[in-house]
Amino acid sequence: MLTSFLLITLIAVFGHAEDFLGTTLLSRPLVLGPLVGWALGDLQQGIIIGGTLELIFMGNIKVGAAIPPDVITGGVLGTAFAIVSGKGVAIALALAIPISVLAEMLLSGLFVFRSAFNKYFERYAEAGDWRKIQRLHIFSGLLKPVLMGLICFLALQLGSTAMKSFLDSIPAWVNTGLQVAGNMLPALGFALLMNLMFNKQVAPYFFLGFILAAYLKLPVIAIGGIGLIIALLVARRKSPADTEGDEDNHDPLPAATEQPSLQRRDIRQLFFRSLTLEANFNFETWQNTGFAFAMIPVLRKIYKTREALSAALRRQLQFFNTSPYGSTLIIGITAAMEEQNSRSTEFDAESINAIKAGLMGPLAGVFDSLFWGTFKVIAAGVGTSLALKGNIMGAVLFLLIFNVPHLVLRYRLTFIGYHTGTRFLHQLAKDQVMDRLTYGASILGLMVIGAMPATLISIKTPISFGAGDSPVSLQGILDQIVPSLIPLALTWIIFYCVRRNMKTTWLLLGLLLLGFFGSIIHLFA
Amino acid sequence: MIKLLRLDDRLLHGQVAFTWTPALGVDTLVIANDKLAKDEFRKMTLGLAKPPGTRLIIKNVAEGTAFLRDAKNAGLKMLVLVDSVSDAFALAEAIPDIRSINFGGLRTRDRAKAISKSIFLTDEDIALSRKLLERGLELEIRQVPTDTKQLLEPLI
Repeated sequence: MLTSFLLITLIAVFGHAEDFLGTTLLSRPLVLGPLVGWALGDLQQGIIIGGTLELIFMGNIKVGAAIPPDVITGGVLGTAFAIVSGKGVAIALALAIPISVLAEMLLSGLFVFRSAFNKYFERYAEAGDWRKIQRLHIFSGLLKPVLMGLICFLALQLGSTAMKSFLDSIPAWVNTGLQVAGNMLPALGFALLMNLMFNKQVAPYFFLGFILAAYLKLPVIAIGGIGLIIALLVARRKSPADTEGDEDNHDPLPAATEQPSLQRRDIRQLFFRSLTLEANFNFETWQNTGFAFAMIPVLRKIYKTREALSAALRRQLQFFNTSPYGSTLIIGITAAMEEQNSRSTEFDAESINAIKAGLMGPLAGVFDSLFWGTFKVIAAGVGTSLALKGNIMGAVLFLLIFNVPHLVLRYRLTFIGYHTGTRFLHQLAKDQVMDRLTYGASILGLMVIGAMPATLISIKTPISFGAGDSPVSLQGILDQIVPSLIPLALTWIIFYCVRRNMKTTWLLLGLLLLGFFGSIIHLFA
Repeated sequence: MIKLLRLDDRLLHGQVAFTWTPALGVDTLVIANDKLAKDEFRKMTLGLAKPPGTRLIIKNVAEGTAFLRDAKNAGLKMLVLVDSVSDAFALAEAIPDIRSINFGGLRTRDRAKAISKSIFLTDEDIALSRKLLERGLELEIRQVPTDTKQLLEPLI
């Protein structure tokens, strides 16, 4: 058992190390579940549990500094205990939810604690000591995977025997109740996702997705494909009809210098180093040291004196927070400005921070909604629909659908930022590219979400009417009118509650209770 | 109608575009900020982040106040964003309809101390907040709409 526990600990460490690996969603249950299953010799079960957990934590995303439950620790431990005790999916859920809430509190504590390092970063910048900045960024970043890994190991080593006997003492009817409750929880995830994208303009696409899935039984991949085509057609048609009086378009900051001295290699390095942007996230200055970490090689190249380097390092350590997925655009623009600053004494170095600060908020809005609202939704929709059937390709496709666009765009944006600077943004604003992009993205995202109640949850009612030889089952009648009506209705009820600002935790508890007691009184199965 | 007055030094960003706008069901975002009203570049970048289906209005504090008080705009569902306690104070002074202020995010600055994990206030900020509290306004801390409201009063 010890070997498996060590392996699982490493899996948890790997999940938490995602902050060093470009926030590439390696930490999601859909990916870690199969790994845990494999470590315990039951890959199949791991895939299915991972898929189920993914559904439930689907709406669980990190926007700004609002930290969601720690699904890594919760998911890994929940999956491991469920497989070890042989109790299956329902127990995995029942354990993962409380564990992830507890682990999140611990993480919040860590994010507060990390702020204590900020004065050391400042001091190192003052001295122009870039090596120590890098070292501390990595050290402080490693605290999270190491700490959470340790907790996982202790929980497994000390808790698994007690947990097994505790789980064994749970009567079967409780287990059944939990199973039904677990089946209801994805509705919360769907509702949270709808909340991000739903408005009257795109509402019909939700129902289009639902109809394609419920009546025509199309798989999620097909619906994603149809959605993509519709999004492309609709977004192209909505071309820039209204051009407001074209202001003269001189750039406030023409970024590309006459002879850029940075080479492709340097820009590429900006991209690779940007992958650790979130590693040392803290509640005081957020991603600042990650930003500095990305910039250090470039700064060393363009600033020759210690004083100039020190001033530049201090600039990088200013508060920073943006969506990691679009961060390289700002990093590229900053590199171009720093380069100009190094050449001309007249350049106002303060303007670098002003531009950075001006860009980080808006770009976070743009890229968060594009990646969390669209790519993640499609990736998870396709991934879970395969994983629930025990297919390992679910995890693979999930990572590919999300990360191919993510990494290609993130890489390209570094170059675009460096070479065209803010001109690129002016162009986007002028052509109303963003409007069309978000519109198309919400069509696609919403169609896939619409398909989810019909394909990814199964809640049925065992109620039947009439006694004797020919009882009429209510579910049979429902299926003939609107298949998957119960999941659809449930999703809408929860969505309504989310829009009324009800707390997610209460909704979660409410759904658990509804499912649990609904199963006991034979309302749901 | 003003659905929410939010204090946030990043003004319009992920949390606002992505969680508050749908949660409040607003159709108009009003940013009242003197510096921004003159800064074409930042206005342009904020325009990129505008959530779909909404109007974004950027004015200086005085014009913003006039806009919010204008009876013609009473039919709009508005989310008002400011980036400093003093701007929020100015709006609350001029507009009696504002009964509550959401403290969303004010990052660390010189002489500012931590009030909560997302809010750092200077002594002047605290003095202004006390005045607002005396007038019976609700000052609450929430980053996203689903957070539990945390009242500022016991923290300052």
